[in-house]
Amino acid sequence: MTLSRFLLRRLVFSVPVVIGVLFFTFALVRIGGQDPVALLAGPTATVQEIELVRRELGLDQPFFVQFAIYAQKVLSFDLGKSWLSNKPVLGELLDRLPVTFELMFWGILLGALVGIPVGLHAAFRVDRAFDQISRFVSLLGFSIPTYWLGLVMLFVFFFLLEWAPPGMGRISLIVTPPPRITGSYLIDGLLTANWEAAHSALSQLVLPVICVAIVASAPIIKQTRAMAIEVLGRDYVRLARAAGLPERAVRGIVWRNALVPVATFIGTEITGLVGTASLIEYVFAWGGMGQYGLHAITSGDFAVVQGYVLFLALFSVLVFVIVDVLGFLLEPRAGGGS
Amino acid sequence: MTLLTVENLHTHFVSRSLDNEIRVARALNGVGFSLERGRILGLVGETGAGKSLTALSIMGLLKPPARIVEGRIDFEGRDLAAMPPDELNRLRGDRLALIVQNPRASLDPLARIGEQLARVHRAHRKADVATAHRRAVEMLAAVGLPDPERRARSWPHELSGGMAQRVLIAMALINEPQLVIADEPTTGLDVTVQAQILDLIQGMVRARGLGAIVITHDLGVVAHYCDDIAVMYAGSIVEQGATRDVLADPRHPYTINLVDSTPERLKIGSGRVFGGAPPNLFALPEGCHYRLRCPRATGACAAPPPWVAGVGGRLTRCHHLEPR
Ligand SMILES: Nc1ncnc2c1ncn2[C@@H]1O[C@H](COP(=O)(O)OP(=O)(O)OP(=O)(O)O)[C@@H](O)[C@H]1O
Ligand code: SF4
Ligand SMILES: [Mg+2]
Repeated sequence: MTLSRFLLRRLVFSVPVVIGVLFFTFALVRIGGQDPVALLAGPTATVQEIELVRRELGLDQPFFVQFAIYAQKVLSFDLGKSWLSNKPVLGELLDRLPVTFELMFWGILLGALVGIPVGLHAAFRVDRAFDQISRFVSLLGFSIPTYWLGLVMLFVFFFLLEWAPPGMGRISLIVTPPPRITGSYLIDGLLTANWEAAHSALSQLVLPVICVAIVASAPIIKQTRAMAIEVLGRDYVRLARAAGLPERAVRGIVWRNALVPVATFIGTEITGLVGTASLIEYVFAWGGMGQYGLHAITSGDFAVVQGYVLFLALFSVLVFVIVDVLGFLLEPRAGGGS
Repeated sequence: MTLLTVENLHTHFVSRSLDNEIRVARALNGVGFSLERGRILGLVGETGAGKSLTALSIMGLLKPPARIVEGRIDFEGRDLAAMPPDELNRLRGDRLALIVQNPRASLDPLARIGEQLARVHRAHRKADVATAHRRAVEMLAAVGLPDPERRARSWPHELSGGMAQRVLIAMALINEPQLVIADEPTTGLDVTVQAQILDLIQGMVRARGLGAIVITHDLGVVAHYCDDIAVMYAGSIVEQGATRDVLADPRHPYTINLVDSTPERLKIGSGRVFGGAPPNLFALPEGCHYRLRCPRATGACAAPPPWVAGVGGRLTRCHHLEPR
């Protein structure tokens, strides 16, 4: 099978998932016994506004007609308006998407770059000191409340040591942000040769990225270790030893075979991490999609919540497609071949 | 010329029980045999007798809690049992090689066949990638795979079980080892393919003057392919000698039982235990380990039985035999 055929098949298989996602976000405002119109229009809506929303949503229509109207709106990129800002939800989310993406990307990358080698190293010396320590550390990573972790990081590195800037957004208040190209201040600063902005953006990034990395790496360590231990017991590893391959080569075989399942796992982890990252965004006043969604939830801005959930769900569908394509490229059995 | 001499080999599994008592499973109890160059030794015995463990002990592939506690493994004048792990690892795949069952699962799914062979070659020889690849293709041709160039580019999942076993044989022989151990090399393969694989192993051993140990459940295989036979029970060899002599006239009660329960050219049937429960390795009976199942057992059998010589250098370990 060629890559393009695989991709096509994979995308076709995603269609029912996307429909399911749409249905879920549609149902989101209709469960809980509240009047969806009141929810979507917000607490400050006037009677006329509520009537307008009611007609827009076709709420006098049967259930499935309502769903069709909703789906049609979403497909024409209309996610409704936020009652807080009175701006279209889609634009608000798209503005903040790269901001969250930047944080997640570096955080997960760092978490994987630390977590995978640590997990492998632990698997090669099960129950010895390194393994015990890494298991303890990863257990800590699992159990630390994210919010608290962010606050402690700020307390130590900003307040006590003064190594890091305060957690007040993505760039220092006294630095003018670079013009928007990608939406990442760091990259836009570099692209426009605005070193001051790039430097400020980088130093603002360090602490929240480390927070995401800590939260992300704990399960990566655990999963990599488990996968590598499983691969170590496979027949082909035993034969590699029987053939007298040097230990280094044996480990090479192990980590390459553990990589595909670990990559798949990281894919599944990413979607869960978006929620966690919203708390980190909150602590560092990051102003990304996560913080925006969290704020919408606490203030009952339901159109935003609905759009946010839709974004997250579509994002995870996309991540799974990417992970599958990666697996396809790395696994000769799937027809790709390295 | 003697290639391999195993003497008084004891391999134990030492573990701790929940109440912190040390428990010892005596899996090999004084295994001893020797192997000449150019000959094939068949190692038989019921499941759990310690055949694979003997192979792993020789290859230095035991994993904790298994450990050689006593004995010598003399190979080309050196004691493998006392050799540092690194040094032994350099001999593995070079001077001594293992062919296993489950050939398909024994190939790295993420590497092409040629690459895997070349990898083994390069681990032991100073060869550049191109030379190693050429050597790999050569070996694939030698084990009778058609179109070896193309095969070298195949992935393991593209091979049938029989082809994969040929690849394992090519891999075992790529560095021209002196000793080859094949542990049930045909288990799980089609009957017609089984004969081809065994013919191949036999042909390679004869052509290159190697010493080989073939572990099998199939006395027919031993009769057809092996010069010598060693019968194992509870981690000891109870009878050994030339295949023809032993199968025609088994002397040890266990061998007699084994041969009787095997219709001509038919399998013992792997995993089947006949004539009683398998021995408990944690509490083997004193003296002859077979005495709880032996029809000829007497009080004398509570003492370790002696080796009794027979014609043609045959040795049988039993109290109630006359030397011939
Ligand atoms: N961890 C362990 N602790 C105690 N005993 C063990 C352990 N692992 C294996 N054994 C025992 O070691 C013995 C030797 O097994 P081995 O694999 O050598 O048998 P085999 O003759 O190759 O049998 P088969 O024909 O089934 O392959 C078995 O009786 C098994 O029960
Ligand atoms: S020594 Fe005794 S128990 Fe053992 S095989 Fe001979 S007769 Fe049987
Ligand atoms: Mg076995």
